[in-house]
Amino acid sequence: MEPILNVHGLQKTYGGRGTCTKALQGLDFRVFPGEFVGVMGPSGSGKTTLLNCISTIDHPTAGSILVDGSELTALKGKALSQFRREKLGFIFQDCNLLDTLTGLENIALALTIGGAEPRSVERRAREAARLLGVEEVLDKFPYQMSGGQQQRVAAARAMVTGPALILADEPTGALDSKSTGMLLGQLDKLNREEGATILLVTHDAFTASWCRRILFLRDGELYRELHRRSMDRKAFFREILSVVSELGGDSGDVL
Amino acid sequence: MSCKLAFRNVGRSIRDYAVYFLTLTFGVCLFYTFNSLGDQSVMKFLAQNDNPNVEGIFLLMGVFSAFVAVVLAGLILYANQFLMKRRKRELGTYFLLGMDSGRVSRLLVLETLLIGLAALISGVALGALASWALDKLTVSMFLATPGEIFSFTLSRPAVGKTTLYFGIIFLLVMAFTGVNVSRSRLIGLIRSNRTNEEVAQRPLALAVALFLLGCVSLGTAYAILLVRGLLRIDLLWFLMLGLGTLGTFLIFRSLSGFLLRLTKGHPGYYKGLNMFVLRQWSGKVHTNCASNTVISILLLLAIGVTACSVGLNDTITSAVGGQSPYDLTVLNYGRNGDYEQADVSALFLAAGVDPQAVFSKVESVTVYYNNETATGFPEAGFYAAISLTAYNSIMEGRSLPSLSPEDIPCPTPDPIVNGPAADGVVVVSDELASRLVPRRQVVNINYRGDAATVDALVRQTLEGAQDFTGGLDIMINYKLDNYYDLMGAKILVLYMGLYLGLVFLLTAAAVLALQQLSQAADNARRYKLLSRLGASETMRRKALIRQVALAFLLPLALGVIHAFVGMKAANEVIQVMGRVDSVHSSLLTAGLLLLIYGGYFLATCFGAWRTVRTGED
Repeated sequence: MEPILNVHGLQKTYGGRGTCTKALQGLDFRVFPGEFVGVMGPSGSGKTTLLNCISTIDHPTAGSILVDGSELTALKGKALSQFRREKLGFIFQDCNLLDTLTGLENIALALTIGGAEPRSVERRAREAARLLGVEEVLDKFPYQMSGGQQQRVAAARAMVTGPALILADEPTGALDSKSTGMLLGQLDKLNREEGATILLVTHDAFTASWCRRILFLRDGELYRELHRRSMDRKAFFREILSVVSELGGDSGDVL
Repeated sequence: MSCKLAFRNVGRSIRDYAVYFLTLTFGVCLFYTFNSLGDQSVMKFLAQNDNPNVEGIFLLMGVFSAFVAVVLAGLILYANQFLMKRRKRELGTYFLLGMDSGRVSRLLVLETLLIGLAALISGVALGALASWALDKLTVSMFLATPGEIFSFTLSRPAVGKTTLYFGIIFLLVMAFTGVNVSRSRLIGLIRSNRTNEEVAQRPLALAVALFLLGCVSLGTAYAILLVRGLLRIDLLWFLMLGLGTLGTFLIFRSLSGFLLRLTKGHPGYYKGLNMFVLRQWSGKVHTNCASNTVISILLLLAIGVTACSVGLNDTITSAVGGQSPYDLTVLNYGRNGDYEQADVSALFLAAGVDPQAVFSKVESVTVYYNNETATGFPEAGFYAAISLTAYNSIMEGRSLPSLSPEDIPCPTPDPIVNGPAADGVVVVSDELASRLVPRRQVVNINYRGDAATVDALVRQTLEGAQDFTGGLDIMINYKLDNYYDLMGAKILVLYMGLYLGLVFLLTAAAVLALQQLSQAADNARRYKLLSRLGASETMRRKALIRQVALAFLLPLALGVIHAFVGMKAANEVIQVMGRVDSVHSSLLTAGLLLLIYGGYFLATCFGAWRTVRTGED
């Protein structure tokens, strides 16, 4: 099977001579269709840089990123915008929804930007809202919704265009535990029932435990890869925690 | 330290808040230009000729300038408020770094001082240029021989007055800033950019009801104005103003909810960024309905005043120009009230002016006492009568249509002499005229050669002549006198109209621009999200332009409708004085509107796009 996302030898260096910071130092991994992959790592491990490169917000220094067969580093201007709206769906930590639009309109926005047939927009947006269980807030404005509802509306917007890859950047960062559980449950359902491919960046072990596979980054390199396989979420969660403590605590150096 | 920071901040402000700085500069420029009228060559020329309008012009200019200063002070304070809002976070940082409010106040006062100075200097410089251009324009409009009379000068009194007035305004701004800073709380400053837009939803029925109510009250105001005219100022007149304002306000207030529902059912709503633009606009049009009302009324005043002054200007031309068909008219009132024919050419010759050499035409006519029972025209309105033959010969001399016997008796269609004596003359048949009592001899004279030289020669000679009239009561009406009167009146009307009109227009456009730019920071966040969702740059730029255009066009649309109705009423007033050339005045007003309003629109689009772009990834 062809991978949806193929990252090869990805390097990103910030700054110039003398003061250069290597955010990513040769990263290799693949994500296949229908996968729910988590990226974890402590602050400064390169999570955000990786996501920015994949979402075409930032340009890598070296290496290649292939999404659904197209090479990102070669894209510019209009092709870049087109790529973003056709191949990618985004869920961010905050500033996710436009405060001037209702829930329905926020979902519809992704479609209208992509030039969808106007008559079909509302139907498709409602369908996406149904999938994420946010039908009751469609006529509300973001400030009238809870944080969890906002994120689920954002998730609906991310998947409504049927993107090749949904990128979620700390989507639960600003949520309480109940909303977190609800959002992740919906993403999981989206992954299992609709076959959506999701790449989720987080530093929270509980959030990561919903994924099927987790990539751990440290200092811009792939540190460890963890597969859930047939484990239940609790066992997977404990395993994640042990890797996290290894990663963050650096116990080997201390003891 | 404070000084360095202030300089840096000002440098940045001038770049970031170009519209604010431009408005200050334009305000100073306008103020200077119109207050430097006293040093303009045309005004100097008129003052030399003892023009009765000169004093009126200066008096009105003083009054208007005070009024304009108040308007500009309001605008500048409003603009400053916006700037402070945008800089809240920056101020918060100063406080966080441990600056006390005294030092922050000092910093801001210093900044205001620097910006004020910069605006004052650039404004006066621009004003000197504008004043020179205005002078040149007026000279070319009114004087046949511009010659040496205009030069590029800086008017000291105008500089003084401008500095004084704007000094006071900037002091006010400093005081407000100081008070603002000392009253602000750190938490409010730091969290200032985390406010979310609250879009209240109201039932459609309410919006429709309010909209209809607005239309009705506006319609009533229009009806009152059109039926009763512009100048009957009583209780109902104020009611009309109140209803007009209320109607405008209600329409703005209800329009967002109303229009949104209308467009929502349309498939075009879900096309591209249409939905986004409409929502952006409707959220703001509701919050800004009060300022939109003010802007609309300012635009009405700007359009109305400018168009009326230009229209009135044209009317004055046709009114006064028609009354001076000759270079000179001599009115001979006779001796001690009794009619006595005189040989005017001989009188001139005796005084030292050779009529053969300097006059191309000398034409003597007798007018008679109007006898109501004989002519059928009331003596109250018609003081004299003229015979058909005499009238027709006068008209023939000027290649104007003559009258036939069937037309008479009737008032003279065209003036027979210069000045006010041309009004109130009836044309009667020769037979009837022979039965009337002669009243006055009028002699119309045209010069030979250069009018200005001959005119000066005639005046000089008559002044120096001993007893030119030979005991007769003689009045002389010079065309040039009428012309200067006309010029004075025209300058009065045109300058005052342009001055006020421009200030109103500037204020309206500046308020709109500042509102749009102050939202730019919020917009930057939204446009950044659009970019991440894959909206191309072209798409986003178009959306931003449409958003700004909507904000600019809505108050303009209502303002233009107001102005249209207002002008209809105003034209009826002007029409009493003469013909109104509404095409000319409309074109000129539209041109000015396009220039200033359009200029501000473009500047706003550029500024907003700059902010939005820099906020992107």
